[in-house]
Amino acid sequence: MRLLACTLTLATGLAWSATVASATQPVTAWYMYGSSGSDLKSYAYAHGCDFAQAEPGTGMRVLLLDFGAARKLDSSTWGAVDFSNTRFSNADILSALERAADGYHNCHVRGSVDIAYGNSNYHLSGSGMSSTDAWWAGFHQSERSEDLADYQSSKGYTSQTSDAASDMEPSWESPSVTKQLVSGDQAQGWALYYDFGSADGCPQSGNADGACNNGWHVSDVGYVSYAALALPLPEIYYTANANQWTVVRKWWNANAQGTYFFLGVTASTGVGLTPTASWAALNSLNNGLVESELACFGC
Amino acid sequence: MFRLLSVRVAAATLVGVAAGAGGGFALAGSISSPAEKAAALNRLAAVAATDSSTVPAPAPASAPQPIPAQMLGADVPVPIAPSILRERNGWLVSDGKTLLAVYAGAAGNDPSVGRVVIVSQNVAAGKQTVRAIDAGSTGELTITAAPLGRAAEASAQTGSLRLRTAGGHFLTLDLGTGRISREPHGAPLP
Repeated sequence: MRLLACTLTLATGLAWSATVASATQPVTAWYMYGSSGSDLKSYAYAHGCDFAQAEPGTGMRVLLLDFGAARKLDSSTWGAVDFSNTRFSNADILSALERAADGYHNCHVRGSVDIAYGNSNYHLSGSGMSSTDAWWAGFHQSERSEDLADYQSSKGYTSQTSDAASDMEPSWESPSVTKQLVSGDQAQGWALYYDFGSADGCPQSGNADGACNNGWHVSDVGYVSYAALALPLPEIYYTANANQWTVVRKWWNANAQGTYFFLGVTASTGVGLTPTASWAALNSLNNGLVESELACFGC
Repeated sequence: MFRLLSVRVAAATLVGVAAGAGGGFALAGSISSPAEKAAALNRLAAVAATDSSTVPAPAPASAPQPIPAQMLGADVPVPIAPSILRERNGWLVSDGKTLLAVYAGAAGNDPSVGRVVIVSQNVAAGKQTVRAIDAGSTGELTITAAPLGRAAEASAQTGSLRLRTAGGHFLTLDLGTGRISREPHGAPLP
């Protein structure tokens, strides 16, 4: 054990001394639209292939497919309503994710991919979902991610893995319901749960458990982004966003277990900061604690 | 990606080992690790850079179908973050190759500024763009008139949408140029 400790100390020291990290090139994240399950599969295949052809570098990158808002479709069926107002069951979504895996495989050039089943907390309770329903939504989301991993393995797609993600926005749903997505995911146990949402309305300085939008607090954002299997891939569109997430990180480190770090940044074009500037803004305030993923809607 | 993550994976693994041995291992320099994420992080670290299979997967059997031009109400999810747009409503059309979605409302950080956000996807080119266009101090914008239905699937992408300001004035969004102007055919807003 002492040897392990020494090794780790050395490794940690080397890593933290090399904190002049920089963002890699952005990779495209996709909003999913489609009028049928067949459409969804076609789009997903194309996105997987495009992602593979454009993938920079030889490392692992996250292919984030945002299927819209998590929904309970009937008494025993979960899924999502997409951005064209089409409801898709998790079976439909899994089929689409498998096609994304096929597309990546067919067009693979270099590196590897983590295909993430993304959704959001948009108006969960407004659509009639209870906290328990939200828990099951997270549970089944992770379950489908594991199903995708089984598919990838069965096909020999050894450059791929799968996880889950959610655009968890304080303004869209209460913290108590939103947290259930993370808790359900944890209960199922497979998928890392990438939070590509915001810390809207949270304080921009300090490390206190201040108030955010819609009854949220900094601690709630900390929970959905770092508790259990959650990892933060936060939206950084303005410098204010980087300030808010830094407060979340500081609160977590002062009050919870484990050293909070960011998987990277979710960015966009056409508004606010450029993707590279988004990553730099967060990293400048959290040096050494921001991995280099740069998922971009609009790149 | 994940240049530092390998160290974090190692940390998580060691914590797991220590816990299994009844340890209570603490990292030097007060850097503790996400033990509950250890298995998943290790999984990421174990992914290869090549596929063991070289057999191509079959291509999709069919191309995406058009989506008739339609308004999107408040119950339809919005992909745009509230920090960018406080959305009032939206509009969408796709001809099966290119998709255009327009979301109208106010700037997330200033409700006095009218804003539309245009999401455009070109499947063939593998491109997705997101563009915010501000109308100035109009208050929130609402789409009040737009091409609708199957007949507009192709033509609507270069057509125009009618917007109403918070004060009841009307503007036109030219989808071809992405410019907002006062009606009728007024000069572009500053």
